Amino acid sequence: MSTTDQTTYNGPDGLAEEEREALEALLYRLADDELVVAERYIEWAVVAPTIESDIALTNIAQDELGHARLWYDLLADFGEDERTLVFERDPASFRHSTLVELPFEDGDWADAIVRSYLYDIAEQLRLEALAETSYLPLRDRVGKVLKEERYHREHAQNWLERLVTSDEGTENVQVAVDRLFPYALTLFEATEEADERFVEFGLQTRSLGEMREDWLDVVIPFLESLGVDVPEFDDAADLLPEKLGRDGEHTDTWPALHADMTHSYNELGRPEPEKIMDRDE
Amino acid sequence: MIWEVFRQEKRGGYHTHCGNVHAPDREMALMFAEIQHARRKPTTSLWVVPKDDIAEVDAEETSFGGATDKSYRWVAGYTHTRPPETETAEDAAEVVLSAEQQDEAEKGREELNNA
Repeated sequence: MSTTDQTTYNGPDGLAEEEREALEALLYRLADDELVVAERYIEWAVVAPTIESDIALTNIAQDELGHARLWYDLLADFGEDERTLVFERDPASFRHSTLVELPFEDGDWADAIVRSYLYDIAEQLRLEALAETSYLPLRDRVGKVLKEERYHREHAQNWLERLVTSDEGTENVQVAVDRLFPYALTLFEATEEADERFVEFGLQTRSLGEMREDWLDVVIPFLESLGVDVPEFDDAADLLPEKLGRDGEHTDTWPALHADMTHSYNELGRPEPEKIMDRDE
Repeated sequence: MIWEVFRQEKRGGYHTHCGNVHAPDREMALMFAEIQHARRKPTTSLWVVPKDDIAEVDAEETSFGGATDKSYRWVAGYTHTRPPETETAEDAAEVVLSAEQQDEAEKGREELNNA
């Protein structure tokens, strides 16, 4: 919980150098996760199991893109713009968790659902830890984002509960959990700029380690209640995959995804990204 | 399974049929309908109803409203109306008197206020 004597900030002015670095690191983690998870979800457009599931998942992708825009927009206060934040940014500087960049196997709907479940539970915990953040422009945006997240969680949970009603579905979910669970743990990985300072400066009211425990406390009982096993571990850190994403180290699949994402921008030789919405205040 | 979707735009208003969704059960039908039929339109409430649970009778099978002349149900069916009563001189005098009394009363109130 935040303490009452925590200093708050109305904007970039008044932030010390270290505080600014920590805030930027936090915003990049947030925004990059949302952008990249949405980019992957969109691959299901037209090929989801039914038109209804297609519309529901791509709508969730639209929500996540909207959230990415809200977080990137806060980085604009530090001199960045859409061009430098997304379209002309070095792929190696992205800080999203490797969970969100992994490709889907063709037709592996269980992967999309398991991934969104693991991601959206973490997303909720993270937003709750930001609800009282000392950086007020961020605090102002958390409430409305949280409102949209309820649907995302229910969507994933409802699907999971139904996928496990057949042996084949349960098997598909199990395979997806085995593959994705270690990558999901990277969501909570600290880096040099991250974590300790997030809490120290009041940017976040729970540490990454605490959030990981909270997440495990939600995710493991739920999956087990569905008859799905979660990989065993003594220390969750032992399960971590080689590439964490948070430190800029990504899987081999990321450069291709980044190239896809920026393809139209580059091919069409656009001098500036299209701006279709004004700044959201 | 097909679920028909009904959307209410304002509290207290009717739920109006707006389309359908495919879903295996009620919970999923509501979840899909929320995105498909309420995302871009003002919505205060949604109903989903299994298509098979809706009973229907069609104009091909029955004669809605009967088959004989029922024009007496409509105002337009009544072509003859009574002419209005003519006002009498007495009625007119009463109206003039009443107006004069009101003017006087108002003048009295103004005098009181100015005093």
